[in-house]
Amino acid sequence: MRHYETLILFSPDLNTEERQNILEEVSKQVRSDSGEDPLVDDWGMRQLAYPVRKYTRGHYVRVEYGSNGGIIPEMERKLRISEGVLKFLTVKLSDEYKAA
Amino acid sequence: MAFKFTPRKKFCRFCADNDLPLDYKRTDILANFVTDRGKIIARRITGTCAKHQRRLTREIKKSRQMALLYYTAVHSTEVRRKTI
Repeated sequence: MRHYETLILFSPDLNTEERQNILEEVSKQVRSDSGEDPLVDDWGMRQLAYPVRKYTRGHYVRVEYGSNGGIIPEMERKLRISEGVLKFLTVKLSDEYKAA
Repeated sequence: MAFKFTPRKKFCRFCADNDLPLDYKRTDILANFVTDRGKIIARRITGTCAKHQRRLTREIKKSRQMALLYYTAVHSTEVRRKTI
């Protein structure tokens, strides 16, 4: 099991509920793989360094989880088609995952 | 005897301080290694060691992808706000 994190940049137009729906979709995928809920770190609304799709602000949420990696392509595909997700980045933090 | 200029010895900040995180999320630290225009500063200037410079450039580029740092100052939200 490897330790991953995904940083998602949401459009400022999304309300809390719409954002939660997308995050719930991510959590569902994580649960199906590791059986645990991911650690969600909400950075809140932030000024972007450069405009993205003409938005100068965005809502960042960082999700940390353990996975064997199989769910990531599927998760990214879902993020790509979900509306209101401006950007995302998945990074492997370490090769071993210890449950917190 | 003529005055001889001896520059301060440079050192790698990441080697000197193990607690200093090298992470794309820490733009406060990464900002020290890019110019005001957003260019990555050469190892020659900052004194970062080869190993850390390689990781540093990678983290800066990740940071740019996520709109945490700008690619060039022309695209910067702040600059845009001042000019428009």
